[in-house]
Amino acid sequence: MSGFTGTRQALLFALKRDRVIIPVWLVGLIGWMAMYVVSYSGLYGTQAELDALYKSVAGNPAVEAMSGPTGGLRSLGGAIAWDSTPALSIICAVYAMFSVIRHSRAEEEDARTDLLLASGAGRLAPLAAALIVTSIVLALAAIGFSLVLVIGGLAAAPSILLALGITGFALVIASTTAVFAQVTTKARAARGLVGVVIGVSWLMRAIGDTSGGTLTWLSPLGWVQETRAFWGDRWWPLLLMVLATAVTVRLSFWLLSRRDIGSGLIQPRPGPAHASASILHPLGFSFRIQRATILGWTAMLCVYGLAIGTIGDNIEGILESSSAFSEAFASLSSNLLDSYFASILTVIALLGAGFTISAVLRPAAEENRDRVALLLAEPLGKVRWVAGHVLIAWIASALMIAAAGLAIGIGLGLVSGDFSQAPTLFASGFVQAPAMWLTGSLALLLFGISSRLTPIAWGLLAVFVLIWTLASFGNLPDWVVDLSPFSHTPAAPAVSVSPEPLAVMTGIAVLLTAMGLFLWRRRDLA
Amino acid sequence: MSAVIEVSGLVKNFGQTRALDGLDLKVEKGQVHGFLGPNGSGKSTTIRILLGLIRASGGEALLFGEDPWRNAVGLHRRLAYVPGDVNLWPNLTGGETIDMLGSLRGGLDPKRKQELVERFELDLTKKAAAYSKGNRQKVALIAALATDAELFIFDEPTSGLDPLKEAVFQDCVREIIGRGDTILLSSHILRQLEHLADTFTIIRRGATVETGTLHDLRQIARSAGRDPDSMSLEDLFLSIYRQ
Ligand SMILES: Nc1ncnc2c1ncn2[C@@H]1O[C@H](COP(=O)(O)OP(=O)(O)OP(=O)(O)O)[C@@H](O)[C@H]1O
Ligand SMILES: [Mg+2]
Repeated sequence: MSGFTGTRQALLFALKRDRVIIPVWLVGLIGWMAMYVVSYSGLYGTQAELDALYKSVAGNPAVEAMSGPTGGLRSLGGAIAWDSTPALSIICAVYAMFSVIRHSRAEEEDARTDLLLASGAGRLAPLAAALIVTSIVLALAAIGFSLVLVIGGLAAAPSILLALGITGFALVIASTTAVFAQVTTKARAARGLVGVVIGVSWLMRAIGDTSGGTLTWLSPLGWVQETRAFWGDRWWPLLLMVLATAVTVRLSFWLLSRRDIGSGLIQPRPGPAHASASILHPLGFSFRIQRATILGWTAMLCVYGLAIGTIGDNIEGILESSSAFSEAFASLSSNLLDSYFASILTVIALLGAGFTISAVLRPAAEENRDRVALLLAEPLGKVRWVAGHVLIAWIASALMIAAAGLAIGIGLGLVSGDFSQAPTLFASGFVQAPAMWLTGSLALLLFGISSRLTPIAWGLLAVFVLIWTLASFGNLPDWVVDLSPFSHTPAAPAVSVSPEPLAVMTGIAVLLTAMGLFLWRRRDLA
Repeated sequence: MSAVIEVSGLVKNFGQTRALDGLDLKVEKGQVHGFLGPNGSGKSTTIRILLGLIRASGGEALLFGEDPWRNAVGLHRRLAYVPGDVNLWPNLTGGETIDMLGSLRGGLDPKRKQELVERFELDLTKKAAAYSKGNRQKVALIAALATDAELFIFDEPTSGLDPLKEAVFQDCVREIIGRGDTILLSSHILRQLEHLADTFTIIRRGATVETGTLHDLRQIARSAGRDPDSMSLEDLFLSIYRQ
């Protein structure tokens, strides 16, 4: 009897469960691509405008570290491909990760897989269904991307290549997720590990793209860029993705057919029989719950900062030798490298805001899993419990972004031998914190209304990321740019920090948090 | 007649924890077999091995003479299972869930399903998130009882049911036995077991302590110097367990 028995039913069932999520995601993803097409067509309608764009950024290592090789910028399609590739690849990959975990490990963690298997499904069926349902969504996204590009007036073949590259990366991440879903017992841990894989893919190509290219080829995200849609049209890197997918899918099924349902490859070890004093306080207990996430995110952001710091030294040289870049950055500051670091810190803060949201929303996760009643049946105030999590989220966010700034300074010092920048970069990290807090407070407000609304917080963060990407090309109206808190953060260390925007953002964040707590106090537990 | 369930010397380690330590269990066709033991003694672990969800670290577990780890799907067509903690998919209704689970074995008899829904008084149109614990359990019970399985494995199937539904469950058990099918019933409700089960296996720390009919268990108590005839299963369980 095959382990795949029942895959068809499991697949139909998964589609049914996702009947709302899938259309929403598809509209969001395809709409995002449409925004690139519309805004680039509007801004760079003539070849002269494109040439000007090319001259201003091509070969700029700071820009290449962020968004990849700039060789295609002389054509409209190349410019769109260049700007959309990193953002959309990562967003699609994140979707793929959530989708695979949701239908495999998360089901197992809640013991629903037992029920399914005992009813006659093969043990491989749930994972197979998870991979198929994810692939279907990615295929639809690829079709949508291609259509949007072609309707926007671009050539068909490179449009399809770009669409397949972006979704192909997500497919590699989907199958990688399938492997991690076999390794850990907890869905959250599996998602964390895949997040690291996505982060490392991005980082390796960032380093690769600014230092000769070898590392780029070790990163699946690098493969997407190396398809060079609209300026070389190489199809063969897609083969690498197919290969990587095939290998990881095989591996995941091999692991699944060998392990216990409900367990990972790593068995939980026995722990202490008595609670250490540190978790006997509600705040200590909340910190314990959040600890692993905090450490994981801090490590990831610091590694990223360190890597950026180590390539900072050669970036400075290139920036100074090129008059075009000097002009581009001169408006911002006298020191080119400082403006570069300021924009990197914004990127880290946008990433870190993902942590802030998930940490602030930790009570929602507890609520959704029915554990909160156990806790709140004790004499522990509702508001106090959530406020504790918020406090932890805020402190950890600020320390995390400052540590990442420090890591940039240390990376720079390791290469140049001059560590004098480190304290300034450490302080500049703190400057980013209020925008992260504000993002987190929006999430808490949603939680106060209902924990079912909390996914919207992630949508808001996606909007902030989108605003940041498009704003860096100056092609958004000011009022749209102003919607994102990250637009109001002073560009430290490049400019001297004025305290007003920071104070205002912190004030709004405190206010929204208070409102969220107030609403939470008055509402029912789910 | 061959045994439906035959477990001997079963061992299961979870990392450093030894959950099963040489457990024996034999269930003949047509029996209701009571499976008892204190919390954490390994009942659910044994059942999950019998379902082929986890793999034994040692010993042997056979279902209809076959290895459940290697032929889980084939064996699952012949059995139905109800867990004690029923977690359902929050955005699906009970009706959708029952149908989905039934579709995996090629669909349920709609008449039988309808009859069970009425007897258990379950509202099929509610989303799982809106069910109480007992109602979630009814969803799993109906999905299992509406099948034509030959073996029913129940792991504390009624821990959330009210007394009326508990009585319905007992009737269902008798009907299953009337058809000549087999039941493995793990429960902490000893009065329920005493009424329903023909034979018992009592386990402790992952190993079998006693096995047999109520009469056999009384003999053991007699040899321990107690007056057994007046003893209920509860008294027997406690006396055996305390030894
Ligand atoms: N996945 C697992 N990982 C580690 N240990 C486990 C796992 N599942 C069960 N155990 C351990 O195995 C032992 C037996 O557990 P099991 O759930 O089988 O007990 P039980 O007899 O069903 O108890 P109860 O009456 O409370 O339901 C326990 O010590 C438990 O902690
Ligand atoms: Mg149990």
